[in-house]
Amino acid sequence: MVAAYLQYWRINILTMLEYRANFIMWFAFSIVYHGVALGALFVTMRQFPSMNGWSFRDMFFLYALWMTGHELHNTLFFNVVSVPDYVREGRFDRFLVRPLDTLFQVLTVPSQTMPDSLILAIVTLCVATAVAGVHVDPRFVIGVTLVVIGGSLIDLGISLVVATISFWFVRVDTLRWVVMSLEQDFTRYPISIYARGVRIVLAFIFPFAFMNYFPATYFLQKAETGLHLNPAVGLLTPAIGLAWFGVSYAFWRFGLRHYQGTGS
Amino acid sequence: MHLWPAFLRLDGMDGSMKAGVMRMRFAPYVEFAKKAFAREATYRMEVATEVGSLVLRVYLLRSLWTALYAQNAAPMNLPLHSMITYATVALLMSLILEVDGTRLIREKLREGSIATDLMKPISVPFYFFSDGIGQTGLHAVLVIPSLLFSLLLVHIDVPSPAVLGAFALSFALGYCVNFFINFLMNSIAFWTLETFAIQLIVRWVSDLLSGQIIPLMFFPGVLGRLVVALPFAAVYSTPLLIYVGVIPPSGWASAFAVQIAWLVSFAALSSLVWRAGARRVVIQGG
Repeated sequence: MVAAYLQYWRINILTMLEYRANFIMWFAFSIVYHGVALGALFVTMRQFPSMNGWSFRDMFFLYALWMTGHELHNTLFFNVVSVPDYVREGRFDRFLVRPLDTLFQVLTVPSQTMPDSLILAIVTLCVATAVAGVHVDPRFVIGVTLVVIGGSLIDLGISLVVATISFWFVRVDTLRWVVMSLEQDFTRYPISIYARGVRIVLAFIFPFAFMNYFPATYFLQKAETGLHLNPAVGLLTPAIGLAWFGVSYAFWRFGLRHYQGTGS
Repeated sequence: MHLWPAFLRLDGMDGSMKAGVMRMRFAPYVEFAKKAFAREATYRMEVATEVGSLVLRVYLLRSLWTALYAQNAAPMNLPLHSMITYATVALLMSLILEVDGTRLIREKLREGSIATDLMKPISVPFYFFSDGIGQTGLHAVLVIPSLLFSLLLVHIDVPSPAVLGAFALSFALGYCVNFFINFLMNSIAFWTLETFAIQLIVRWVSDLLSGQIIPLMFFPGVLGRLVVALPFAAVYSTPLLIYVGVIPPSGWASAFAVQIAWLVSFAALSSLVWRAGARRVVIQGG
């Protein structure tokens, strides 16, 4: 399996070298995608310097933390997002008759994925850490790495759920798009701006708050005013990520057992 | 090709024949629009998801602006209720403006079916426009449930009929400017097929620079003057600022003039690009 995985990255790199212009365009899009979000935040917070006690510098760090987890997901697990396309085109069925784990096969379909956006995210996170004045020591580096990994698992969980839904409802493009953009929108702000019900959903049902809000509160040494939890819950992100991935993986297996294909 | 001779003989006919020919002339486009409407309406789950996501976004913007206004001074005489009205109307507009009928250009170029379209006795750009109108029609219908659900969450200011009329006119102009921006973006596919990333880049940038996410007057200094001077402002910002009253009635005429100027320049550019692109298809033999 390790050999197969290494082959997957080898093919990706060869593809990238073949389609260099395309690679550069998508990297440019990545910059614009995050640049627009941060630009809008910057312009807004020039007019309104405080959002429930968070300054632009804090919000920059909040965003960068989400961005890094999200881009780690996009680098390693993006093929899961393509599952609805495989299902619709009938390409998914071939995974089911091969002896390797279905999810592993999905993750290793050669694609044009490269770690460029992840590198961009890591650079952004470093800049944001400096801008926000977070104290950097080995504990922070280990903590933030685990948080990013946990964050990418939370993202993977969501992608898996959407992919599984496509076994029943073939056209889920809008749902997939909406989930992705709502995730980006709702994780951009401290959860204390939402009503209590929404805070609970973001913390415990779709645990996006663990991707960035709780860890950022901890690293920035802020009081957690959303649910009045101890800020140290932010360090639970890796555990939450594993748990959420476990639940969504069980749903995925359940979906596989009921998978019937589109007949196409 | 049977439509063309009849339509060229238009001058020599009596009134009723003319009316008949006019119907024939527009009938195909009406059919294209109807087909697009029906095609989009087939996907009920998609439609429901779109309305649901819009309502969640309305909730998000209410939370965001309420929190920001609670702790900071209101900027530029734009009180909270105007800001929430601005952001909600912008979202409802996006239901309509995010429709891209000209996406078909790219798909058809990729598949090569553009060649047979060019042979048909229709104006192909106008076919894209009517397809877009059909999709827009469905999305315009979606505005109604979206608006009703939104009203459960936020209060929207309703201006006087005159202001609403000016807003509607400005929105229509913005819709056409948006059509031609999309048209130009999709026409890049005549030269290179890898246009999706370019399109997404332009769309993202225009979301920010058109005033859809934040009012353009929040941009500081030179940046502020620059974004207002760009064509994207004609799509969202102008109608919205008319709606919330930041552009007073005395400024309407010049606001429309700027929108019309963008519309005319983009239409002219689109026609040039289309002709060059279509010739390329002919040379390549499809």
